[in-house]
Amino acid sequence: MKIKDTNIETSFRGLRKDNPFRVPENYFETFSERLNTKIGEEQRVHVKRSMYITFKPFLAMAASFALLIVLIYIPYRKYYRAESNHFAQNKAVNERIDSAGGFPQALISSFSDEQFMSAFSDMDKSESKSLTSENLADFIAANYNDYEIVANN
Amino acid sequence: MELNEQELIASLKSESGREEAFQLLVKTYQQRLYWHIRKIVMNHDDTDDILQNVFIKVWKNVDGFREDSSLFTWMFKIATNESLSHLQKLRRHTVVSMNEVSQYLAESLESDVYFEGDEIQRKFQLAILQLPNKQRIVFNMKYFDEMKYEEISKVLKTSVGALKASYHFAVKKIEEFLKEDHT
Repeated sequence: MKIKDTNIETSFRGLRKDNPFRVPENYFETFSERLNTKIGEEQRVHVKRSMYITFKPFLAMAASFALLIVLIYIPYRKYYRAESNHFAQNKAVNERIDSAGGFPQALISSFSDEQFMSAFSDMDKSESKSLTSENLADFIAANYNDYEIVANN
Repeated sequence: MELNEQELIASLKSESGREEAFQLLVKTYQQRLYWHIRKIVMNHDDTDDILQNVFIKVWKNVDGFREDSSLFTWMFKIATNESLSHLQKLRRHTVVSMNEVSQYLAESLESDVYFEGDEIQRKFQLAILQLPNKQRIVFNMKYFDEMKYEEISKVLKTSVGALKASYHFAVKKIEEFLKEDHT
């Protein structure tokens, strides 16, 4: 559809075409001054924002490091404390061993009576289990002569 | 200082002459842009805010201005978009439909202390406010600003044929409105 555009506004011939709107007094004279003030404010905000944007990666990196340190340091510290406690206990035992003048006495003194007795009974069992007839023959041969063996039998 | 657009753009993009060129730009175009915005949003205070935003955008983005249109066309485009955005915000925050936006603008016109037209002019403005936003802008640019369709086409990115049709329908609607007795 082709639209004719010949003096279409003649419909409004009776209407005044001049501008019926007004502006406050000295509006255009003072506009650029107000605009400059607003641009100044915008730039200050922009500088603040751009500083934040500039430092944002560094802040993020620092926060990451802090988090990493917390995640590594706290478990390590807990582990280290446990280790050092164990080491301190060992050290105290060693000191007691040294002050008692030798390992067996100190070791014995650190055992309770029950522990001591059960250790001996275990030792007996293990020895009896390992005693064979060959061992017994060797023992008799080493400690008794032939006369003593015949006389006892 | 005589306004040569190429020199003005070059000065706006240079560090040394930027501020002086910008002042010249504001002085030269402030009134035309003001009246273009005012006819869209009607209210002086809103127009003032939008005009300042337009120039701030020009100040910030002039380095990226590609010069594929004239400086004035570029600024006109920014002013039109800012004004339409303002109306969209009104629609979102204050009212719910475009009819109510028209109603809001009509009320702004009625209470506008800076409107000094007679009764016929008031009715004419009310008739224009009944148009959809884009049609209203086309009508204002063609009828009041007496811009050529080719110029309007560059600002609104609409074909000349579509603009002619839009203007034609706008005139018909205004005629219809004025025939009815709207007081």
